[in-house]
Amino acid sequence: MIRTPLRYHRPRTPDEASALLVEHRGDVAVLGGGTQLLPQMNRDQVHVGHLVDLRGLGLRRIEVTDDQVVVEALVTYADVLLSRDLSRAAPHLRRVAHGVTGGRQIRNTGTLAGSACFAMPGSDMPAALVGIDAILRLHGPDGAREVRAADFYVDAFTTVLRPGEFVLAITIPRTAARTGYCKVKHSSGSWPIATATARRLDGSATVTLGSVHATPLHVDVSDLASNGPVDRAALADRVRSALPAPWTDVLAPGDYRARIAGVVAARAFSELEGVPA
Amino acid sequence: MTQSPPRPRPRDDGEATTPPPFAVTPEVDGDTAVDREPAPGRLHPLRRDGDLLLTGRAEFLDDIALPGLLHAAVLRSPHAHARVLRVDATAARQARGVRAVLAPEDADAQAAPLPAFFEPSIVGGKTSTFRILAGTKVTYVGEAVAAVAAETLADAEAALELIEVEYEVLPAVVDAEDALAPGAPLVFGEWGDNLLAVFPFAEGDAAAAVAAAPHRLSGELHTQRHHTAPMETRGYIASWDRAGRLTFWGSTQNPHPLRTNLSTVLGLPEDRIRVIATRLGGGFGHKFNGYAEEPLVCLLARAAGGPVKWVETRADALLVGAREFSHRFTVGYDDTGRILGIQDRVVGNIGALGSWGGWSMTFPAGMTFPGPYKVADYDIQSHAVVTNKAPWNGARGYGKETACLALERMVDLIAAERGLDPADVRRVNFIPEDEFPFWTAAKHLDSGNYAGALDKVLALSDYRGLRARQERARAGGRLFGIGLAFELTPEGGDFAGSFVRGYDTSTVRVYPSGAVTVLTGVTSPGTGNETSIAHLVASELGIPSEQVSVVQGDTDTCPYGFGNFTSRSLATGGAAAVLAAREIRDRMSGAAAALLDCAADDLRFADGNVTCVTVPTSSLSFAEVAETVYRRGLAAPGLDQPLLEVTRVDLPHNFHHVPDEQGRFSAYPSYPYSAHVAVVEVDAETGVVDLFEFHAVDDCGNVVSPRFVEGQLYGAISMGIGGALWEHQPYTTDGQPVATQFKHYLTPRAGDLPAIRLDSQHTPSPFTLLGTKGAGESGVGGGLAACVNAVNDALAPLGATAHHLPLNPPNVLAAIDAATNPGGAR
Repeated sequence: MIRTPLRYHRPRTPDEASALLVEHRGDVAVLGGGTQLLPQMNRDQVHVGHLVDLRGLGLRRIEVTDDQVVVEALVTYADVLLSRDLSRAAPHLRRVAHGVTGGRQIRNTGTLAGSACFAMPGSDMPAALVGIDAILRLHGPDGAREVRAADFYVDAFTTVLRPGEFVLAITIPRTAARTGYCKVKHSSGSWPIATATARRLDGSATVTLGSVHATPLHVDVSDLASNGPVDRAALADRVRSALPAPWTDVLAPGDYRARIAGVVAARAFSELEGVPA
Repeated sequence: MTQSPPRPRPRDDGEATTPPPFAVTPEVDGDTAVDREPAPGRLHPLRRDGDLLLTGRAEFLDDIALPGLLHAAVLRSPHAHARVLRVDATAARQARGVRAVLAPEDADAQAAPLPAFFEPSIVGGKTSTFRILAGTKVTYVGEAVAAVAAETLADAEAALELIEVEYEVLPAVVDAEDALAPGAPLVFGEWGDNLLAVFPFAEGDAAAAVAAAPHRLSGELHTQRHHTAPMETRGYIASWDRAGRLTFWGSTQNPHPLRTNLSTVLGLPEDRIRVIATRLGGGFGHKFNGYAEEPLVCLLARAAGGPVKWVETRADALLVGAREFSHRFTVGYDDTGRILGIQDRVVGNIGALGSWGGWSMTFPAGMTFPGPYKVADYDIQSHAVVTNKAPWNGARGYGKETACLALERMVDLIAAERGLDPADVRRVNFIPEDEFPFWTAAKHLDSGNYAGALDKVLALSDYRGLRARQERARAGGRLFGIGLAFELTPEGGDFAGSFVRGYDTSTVRVYPSGAVTVLTGVTSPGTGNETSIAHLVASELGIPSEQVSVVQGDTDTCPYGFGNFTSRSLATGGAAAVLAAREIRDRMSGAAAALLDCAADDLRFADGNVTCVTVPTSSLSFAEVAETVYRRGLAAPGLDQPLLEVTRVDLPHNFHHVPDEQGRFSAYPSYPYSAHVAVVEVDAETGVVDLFEFHAVDDCGNVVSPRFVEGQLYGAISMGIGGALWEHQPYTTDGQPVATQFKHYLTPRAGDLPAIRLDSQHTPSPFTLLGTKGAGESGVGGGLAACVNAVNDALAPLGATAHHLPLNPPNVLAAIDAATNPGGAR
């Protein structure tokens, strides 16, 4: 049960939301879908006196234009799965959303932006966003700013969000890039143990690994793909050397994640390149 | 609890359908794929309250809302092992909404020590004294130290933070082998060691037989700590009336023994306590009685002057341990794979002993050997070792699953070493069908056709086809594994000296309207045995099932009974209800004979009527006979037995408590068995196991409700699969439990399980009234062992063995690495 007195706020404008976040700095949390925050409050793992619910701001739109996809902060996984426009414009996002652990209740309530901000290593969204060059549109006391997903993550459960700032939307550039994806987990109830988003675009080749490190691990392997497919042995070496401190949680030790990171990366490329691992 | 009253089922023809005396399942019932018209009289009884359950309207403990209900929270030890120096609850008493606070000294002043569910000293084990709140020493993280009742749960939890406890932390021991080592920290200082008990089960001379065998092999197996994870956690509500009478609602499997315990602990006459077992969302042994929170809510309610509810959190539920066993075994065998001798040192890490009963699972863990196999010489030593983990409570499988796992691994290892088919090795070792009843050291096996069940599962799974598919897959470099398992599941145990008994009691009562009520001492964990009991009684009386209500779990209403455990309900309470119904029928026959002027032997009870078979027009409805007995009994000729209420006791007639001249005894009366085939593919690069087929054939004797038996098998097999592949409560080396939520403790979800295909065989027990055997646990051991065997079969081309469970990806990859890269880094 939530043990402490709690004040619920539902601001009408982004400025109002930022003002509340500044006013109650250190004693406030942003409520998105609440699938992480509320159980943690019930378990007495998060103690705040104020909740700022973003529902009053709308923020439920998915907007697809010629050059980008905009996913607003309160868009749920289910919204993504139901949007035909988004499926065409950002199929990778749909694919990742489909594999999110937790079943229908979580997909109906949990938000992509909420997961992005929670910055939990054992989750799907942070590395997926980094892997497709997503940009987070933030709103703060000094107005709006944009941060690349690759620059958003500081440490496990820590982002560059400043006091008073929150995510308004996620934008994804509509490039011609195709992606390959691989995810390993124990069972359908399991957090991801390792994910990889492989991407090739204009001669570059990158892989973004999730859940193997405190923050998404973006590895440039363009030099390994000069003549066709990415060299698998070199890829495994590159991934291994990029991963000095693998993430450990209750489900899997770091050495296991380090052991399979190269495999997961190779499989993501195999899917992308149509070449067996 | 009181089941909802029977509701008449609308009928097209306006006539009642009468089931047969009992529905011995025809073979066709086992085939779930066949969409069949139920034959007349072979209807599976409709699940009682199924509509309420499916629409979310069934009432569970947490739905009970008494006026002025207060909420309890429990302060638990953060240390695995510590002396409690001081508990100061002064500040908590002043906190918002708080109505009562209990420190250890408060509880000690008002309550006696907790009675053990299973007192170890009855079987020669060590023991200790357990209090509601630990005031001198804590022996595990999570042991209750203080408690609060407040107007809201939030206030109660907040007040816990104001209770100051001073601990002197002591060294903790969490590994069983460490606990047995000299100089280990002692969980109970007065014991001198950490060994609760050793249970030996032996026949012949195992050491000599193994030494003389043409071949022998040795191995180790380790099962992780995992438990049953019921969907509904435990919960209790206590309410005192102004006259000092206590009403207690509990999500419990044993309402009557719980009442006896409350009487003992609270010093209150037993007849001043009413315990009501609520509808359960799963029991599995997790809800055996004997927990400190049971009397604790009573003390809090008395101190607060209002009813108090406590509901177990998921983190608290995950503390309750089970199934952490290790085996070190040697087995000797001949060229054909025939087992000549088995030695197994079984060690159960039972956590700290408490008042909970789970430590006793180390007994069937040894007793179940040598399973379905005929082995003249074996020596099983089962050790119960205490550590500073939370105690065990009962867990479906009850230690029998670990015996199954060990035996079935031995058989597969023998087959692999000899180059034999694992099915053939099982076949040469089975106890032959014509040798039943069959004695082992501690079992009198009732009946069995083991080869028949094995053949049936091989056919069901197209075993030959599977082996051909495996050959092709292996040729392609894939790790394709097929795992067989044959599980013997002792059921219905009777432990004289405890309240875990092998008999039970039922009352059948007929009202003037013809309505029938069964009051029984057996309870349901949610499996539907009330439906089956109603069906049985209705069959005896020739009336529709809907005319029979079943009341369970209310100690004010029901005869004293032992509740729900060891798959006992039908062979005890169900059989007792049948006997009572037969006596009722005899009494009503006497009356009807006089009323119809017909010989009692010529009366037929069917279709809601009592009919004279010699003069078919001479008939009365069942209700007319009942009403006439009430209105004219002792006043009309022949109506000389007006009491239409009978109470009977029954049990499976296969207990052998007094050892025979060879020292053999049998505390379990009923021996269902099941045969299993699991098919997996292992990803060699990640260790991920994909379980994609599962087949099982079950034989639990005669079956009353085939759908319920299937439901039990689906659940038990899933539980076994979960234990084989994922479920784990890890502890840190200093004794902190790591899994606190279902994101940490991975139970299988629907998407993780293949479509489990079932078939059945029916070999009646000659010792139970209806020929039934227990049907609630078969599948846990089979699911576990078949999966472990399948993974090991898949890894065989790599020369790897995976004997450290769970076989989750990290552990499987470690097993692969150990074989393919010995001494390599990892």
